[in-house]
Amino acid sequence: MNFYTLLWKQFMRTTILAFSILLTVGLLYVQAANVKAQGLNSRINVSVGNENLSTVIKNIESKSNLIFAYDEAYLGLKNIYVKPASFTNAPLETVLTNVLRYSGIGFKEEAGNILLFKQGSGKIAGRITDETGAPLPGASVKIAGTGTGVMTNNDGNYTLTVPEGTYTIEVTFVGYSKNETKDVKVAANKTATLNVSLTGGNLLKEVTVSYGKQRARDITGSITELSAAPLKDMPVIQFAQQLEGKVAGVSVVQSSGQPGRGIDFRIRGAASFFTDNQPLFVIDGMPITGSINNINPDEIESFSILKDASATALYGSRASNGVILITTRHAKPGTGTSVEFNANYGVQSIPGNKVPKVMNAEQFAEFMRERAQDGLLYEKNYNIANDYKAAYLDVDPSSYGTGTNWYKLLTRTAPIQNYDVTIQSATEKSSSTAIVSYSDQQGVLINTGTRLFSARINKDVSVANGKLKIGFNLAPSYRLDHNNRLTTDGVGGLFERIFEASPLISPFNADGSYNRVVNSPGMVAYVNPLAQFKLTNDDYKTTRILGNGYLNYEVLNGLMLKVNVGVDKGGETRNYYQSGIVTSTANNPTGTSSSVDNGSYTAEGYLNYTKTFHQDHHLQVLGGYSVQKYSSTANTLTGLGFPNDDIPYLTAATSVTGNSSYTDYSLLSVIGRINYDYQGKYLLQGAFRNDGSSRFGANSKYGNFPSVSAGWVVSDEKFMERFKNVDLFKIRASYGVTGNNFFSSNYVAQSTTSNYYYDYNNTITQGTTISNLGNANLQWERSLQLDLGFDVSLLKNRISLTYDYYHKISDHLIQARPLPTSSGYTTVYDNVGKLAFWGHEITINTVNINNRDFKWNSAFNISFDRNIIKSLVSPGYIRRNNTVTSDYFRQQVGHHLGEFYGFVFEGLYKDAADLANSPKYLATATSPNGSSDVGTIKVKDLNGDGVIDDVNDRTFIGDPTPTFTGGFTNNFTYKRFDLNIHTSFSVGGKILNAAKWAYQTNMDGSRVPLVAALDHWRSPEDPGSGIYPRTKTGTTAIGREVNTQWIENGSYFAIKNISLGYSIPFKNNIAFKSLRVFASVQQAFVFTGYSGMNPEINLTGQDPTQGIGIDENAYPIPRTFSLGISASIK
Amino acid sequence: MKKIYILMGLVLLTAASCKKSFIDLAPKSSYSDQNYYQTDAQFGQAVTAAYSALRYVVTTDYLFSEMRSDNTIYQSFLNNRGTAYTDREKLSDFMDASTDSYTAAEWQKTYLVISRANIVITRLKTASGIPDASVKSYDGQCKFLRALMYFKLVRLFGGVPLFVKEVTTPEDAFLPRSSVNDVYKQIIADATDAINELPVPTKFPQTGVATKGSATVLLADVYVTLKRWADAETQLNTLAAMGYSLNANYADTFLPANKNSKESLFEVQFLDGTATGSTPDSLCFHFLPRSKNTSLITSLAIDNTTTGGWNTPTQDLISSYETGDKRLDASIGIAEGVYDGSNYFTYSAAKSVVNYSGPPSGKTAVPYVKKYEHTPAYISGSADDFPIYRYSEALLLLAEAQNEQGKSPLIALNTVRARAGLPAVTGADQTTLRNSILHERRIELAFENKRWHDLVRTGNAITVMNAFGVKLKTQISYISPDSYIVTNDKLLYPLPQAEVGLNTKLTQNPGY
Repeated sequence: MNFYTLLWKQFMRTTILAFSILLTVGLLYVQAANVKAQGLNSRINVSVGNENLSTVIKNIESKSNLIFAYDEAYLGLKNIYVKPASFTNAPLETVLTNVLRYSGIGFKEEAGNILLFKQGSGKIAGRITDETGAPLPGASVKIAGTGTGVMTNNDGNYTLTVPEGTYTIEVTFVGYSKNETKDVKVAANKTATLNVSLTGGNLLKEVTVSYGKQRARDITGSITELSAAPLKDMPVIQFAQQLEGKVAGVSVVQSSGQPGRGIDFRIRGAASFFTDNQPLFVIDGMPITGSINNINPDEIESFSILKDASATALYGSRASNGVILITTRHAKPGTGTSVEFNANYGVQSIPGNKVPKVMNAEQFAEFMRERAQDGLLYEKNYNIANDYKAAYLDVDPSSYGTGTNWYKLLTRTAPIQNYDVTIQSATEKSSSTAIVSYSDQQGVLINTGTRLFSARINKDVSVANGKLKIGFNLAPSYRLDHNNRLTTDGVGGLFERIFEASPLISPFNADGSYNRVVNSPGMVAYVNPLAQFKLTNDDYKTTRILGNGYLNYEVLNGLMLKVNVGVDKGGETRNYYQSGIVTSTANNPTGTSSSVDNGSYTAEGYLNYTKTFHQDHHLQVLGGYSVQKYSSTANTLTGLGFPNDDIPYLTAATSVTGNSSYTDYSLLSVIGRINYDYQGKYLLQGAFRNDGSSRFGANSKYGNFPSVSAGWVVSDEKFMERFKNVDLFKIRASYGVTGNNFFSSNYVAQSTTSNYYYDYNNTITQGTTISNLGNANLQWERSLQLDLGFDVSLLKNRISLTYDYYHKISDHLIQARPLPTSSGYTTVYDNVGKLAFWGHEITINTVNINNRDFKWNSAFNISFDRNIIKSLVSPGYIRRNNTVTSDYFRQQVGHHLGEFYGFVFEGLYKDAADLANSPKYLATATSPNGSSDVGTIKVKDLNGDGVIDDVNDRTFIGDPTPTFTGGFTNNFTYKRFDLNIHTSFSVGGKILNAAKWAYQTNMDGSRVPLVAALDHWRSPEDPGSGIYPRTKTGTTAIGREVNTQWIENGSYFAIKNISLGYSIPFKNNIAFKSLRVFASVQQAFVFTGYSGMNPEINLTGQDPTQGIGIDENAYPIPRTFSLGISASIK
Repeated sequence: MKKIYILMGLVLLTAASCKKSFIDLAPKSSYSDQNYYQTDAQFGQAVTAAYSALRYVVTTDYLFSEMRSDNTIYQSFLNNRGTAYTDREKLSDFMDASTDSYTAAEWQKTYLVISRANIVITRLKTASGIPDASVKSYDGQCKFLRALMYFKLVRLFGGVPLFVKEVTTPEDAFLPRSSVNDVYKQIIADATDAINELPVPTKFPQTGVATKGSATVLLADVYVTLKRWADAETQLNTLAAMGYSLNANYADTFLPANKNSKESLFEVQFLDGTATGSTPDSLCFHFLPRSKNTSLITSLAIDNTTTGGWNTPTQDLISSYETGDKRLDASIGIAEGVYDGSNYFTYSAAKSVVNYSGPPSGKTAVPYVKKYEHTPAYISGSADDFPIYRYSEALLLLAEAQNEQGKSPLIALNTVRARAGLPAVTGADQTTLRNSILHERRIELAFENKRWHDLVRTGNAITVMNAFGVKLKTQISYISPDSYIVTNDKLLYPLPQAEVGLNTKLTQNPGY
């Protein structure tokens, strides 16, 4: 089936779904009746000048043919003057309402007569909140049909003094649908209570989009906005952790638990084959060039996640992986001053149920004893060293007890804490926000942790009657990482080492010093992991300043000039010292001092013209320029030859070597966008960006990124009026081109040189030659994306649903393409092929219960993402690497990204007959059994040549891409309590558990295996569990080569966070306006069948070429219990 | 409206100021090929870069050229079956597959030298302003290096892709195999050019760069391999006039203090220490039994548990030294100690191999290569150079070329023997002399990566290695019963599987 057929089918499906929804809603349609009084409805023509009421009433009375009953003197009619007005065929009620307004005189119809009476005054008071019960300060509360009204205060409360009577109250707030409450009765000297909860914020609310804001209902692309406020209870120090499972099609996973690190994003399966798949982050309009780790979650107001090409096109060359726009907190004009304080403190611990259960001392001694016994039994010339014999054969294993528990020694329960103070102050013309915060997360692995000090000042000023808006945002931060970037993850990482060390060995020598190597006889000499954590000091200090200033000037009515200039400045120093006791080369104490200074600036200027023609035609045109430049200077000094560990700085080194380097890139762009709509019903958008990038070959520096999109607000059509319960039904379509220029090196299009030294007869001589092959033809990686979707809101916006289908072709994929090494190069950056991605995304937000005391909202999203590799350069596949043991996956035409590659496991050779009748590993004519034997791993002979070999008998054995992923969030409020439950799930993806099978079931005896491996093959009569092979010398190597046994189902359902809060009631407290206390559990439960520690794991982030779903061990992800308060201070 | 014009003017001005040069960025902390290879000094540096890659070649070549032969084996490490170990053991055992990572490394590093030489050779053709003398010198050195590397490749793999100009596009990188004949033609052409372009050494110790002498002995070696005896003899006869001669003492030849001596025709340079640019030779740790502390032999406390255990001299080799041969003690030592259950060795003594009667009870004796075992200044390695051609080899090549032409080889042969403290060989028939010369080569050039090539070129590999294997399996328990099955196919190594997989134009050698 070709692409267009698929597309057509998809469109049909979408349409059918949409109509089903409409029909359902139609059935709910109810017509309301209307009955009114007669006398006040009679119509009159009257005109009044600057007269007193006495004259006016008489005039009206004469024209209406009704009797007016009143006491003129008591009411003082002669002293009250009215404004001139003229009424033609107007109902009497309208006329009277107008002339009596603000007079304190009421009227009513009684038995066909009109009574005029003196009104007493009463009050209407109450609280205006949003769907979640959060107060809406600055909401407007008005008496319908009059100019009388007030704004709510900071707590959302209002009081209106009005003459007694019956009123219709209108409540409005920017971005929310208007609420009208009829028949509000006000009695004299009494207060009527009216609390209103506004809904539908997501429909009319303005959403941050590329280069501006747009009303949600006018958006034609695929954009999801997420408010940060409901995520605040999570005890995390990275905002990315808050986004897990929140947005359909946005995969955010925590692949490593390193404090403050280890989060990976992938939007719509990511577009790229190589390079970075992280989306572009734009903070307050400024694209971020450095890490996002220093951005404190407390500073964030909202996220806009741009997914399709029309939404992202204005970011052109950097948009292929999606764009995340972050808006920081800005005080809303006119809201006055507020001070907020938040604090939380938590404890983190590693959930115990998935920690690998490796053998303890007794078990390992037993394993090694059996290994030797089997060796003696089965192998000729089997030789047992004296120390091996002494350790395992001469001693009863049980005498060792449990031995050293390395895991316990190296892990801990660690605190996490976060404090922030926010001061906001806003008048009509000027607003400021200042936020200061401190976060500290200690690691659950000993001697690791991170601390972050951050501040932000956002200032906005409006001058020249609101024609000129200027402002700046400034956010300095300082971060201290202590041992937080040690290689804990991956093969040979420190976390793996914890499980490899021998339980028979003490970490300490008799004198209390550290043992360097902690292997018992027969094992590989592992360096003491406890000493490695304790005797390594690796401190990074990172200073970062994000700042930007903007100017918006209304040149003419509707024409805005916008200028935005920003910097992203970073500086980082590293001080590293490792004692010679634990250096990989023994006794080689090593110190490193390095620093990086990087920075980028972005300057953008554009014009935005908004015009309405003939009332119904709305046009908005945007055009401008943008430049960006990044540069970085780095230097590293390495010291060797430290006499001892006393001074861990290079001053103590006897030899210091170093280097420094510089790198930069730049981007020069033109942007343009046209938005047009007719009556807000038919929406069209065209956007264009042209980027010139320094990173590409001389012949292809420029790229064009156009996009078009259209929307139809079906619910605004006449024929939809019957469906009263449909608040919004909008259909959207978009198509566009975006690019990707993220890759690690800035000069890959050019051949660059490196230095190589040679020592001619002891004379050190520097040599220099080309080290990287450039590619002058390297061009943009493109992404062509189609998006079809619709948005539906029902039942006064209590139910809203968004559906999107996307189909994305990424071509000219950039990849470090392997070259034959005979060329002198191993790789070249080249455009290597084409990928297709497609998927469905569904988001449903509902207000399930909205009572005065009890409210329940849900947000559910799910996405189905698929991909296939359409073409690749010769030979049609790219393997992970060349050694069979870690050649985990292969990118191949016709297959999915990152499909695992390996042998097909068929159990163990059961007995001599099975061995004789089965193909064997590396068998040859002279060696018919190869390295197989009874009880060793048996794999399938795929090419049927009777021999198992590495080249011909491996195949694709699993797809890491999940069938679907998503999240489900529920918010409950009951009176003053609130409860939030955030979950995320992923179903159908496979994980290659290398951590377990390559290392923890290794039968060489070189490492400590899992307890389960005790039950391994010993004889045909005692075959054990049938999973773990025998220990025979020379047969165990195949156990390190990927086979289907390693592939596990990686589905999971994670309750990411549960938080429970209580707002303490205050009446006239001198200190607090409000105070909320809460308790929360982060990473509360992970339900999964996966046997490893973290089903969200990835080898190196979510870069698909680096492998998706590969578990090579990583820093464990803790469960965090925390308590917090959030206070608003008077 | 006036405002609009001003504004538009401003916008245009901004646009105009964004020059195209804004996005023309070149690296600043390195050169790009556009602004390098301009000056004499830069070409000199490019040549140096080519030399530097030789170091990688010699750190793996012993696996292919010595451990494959009857000269050396490896130490047992059966409790760790990681590919880092099994891939090296299998090369020694004739059980290697095309996926062997060390084969890939040997291939890649050899070609790396070729690639760097090709850059210089190609770019010199169009360079301007480089003095003629420099052009000749750089071209000659690079052609020597290229010939040396192709000579290594053609003997290990047979016909290989023949890169003779700089690779500048991805497409350039995909070449099919050339015939063995064509590769040799290129080697001879390059070596001949090098002889014509390079000067003889002007002083001893030499500077360490390739000389006319280096190219001459290489060409002679190629001729001997091709059995073009007369051509070889012609070349070899020119060497004495260039000032080369033997050092008085065999052991002195390998002393770091004595590098680039009058005996040296070409050697790969190393320097110990921690200064930037010093490149220590770590082979001294590779060749010792793996241990947590080797200080008994290395003086410095070295942990070579992950690097050691390779290129262990065989009993077969030790036994083939004639009594009184001074070269035995200079080449091989004995480490006494105990292996633990993890196959780590605890040294108890370093003994002389001469008249060694075996270890005391409870100890194990492990022979080790002593030639390159000189106390390093720092734990990263020693200052031992690695010999590629020595004058004694030139003499033995001459002897062989003479003998094969029916001339008397005795003068050359006995010069080498005399230095070793051995009596002169007197008249004998051609076959006996052929064997004597080969035996002399085995002893004189032990651990210099010659033995496997000698066995193959003389047609002795299959017989010698199968017999050696049978004997070895009776002596060494950890050698696989499936090892040392040497067939004709095993005389060439497989092309690295990754290379064959990537480049569909390549064909694999038979038997792999």
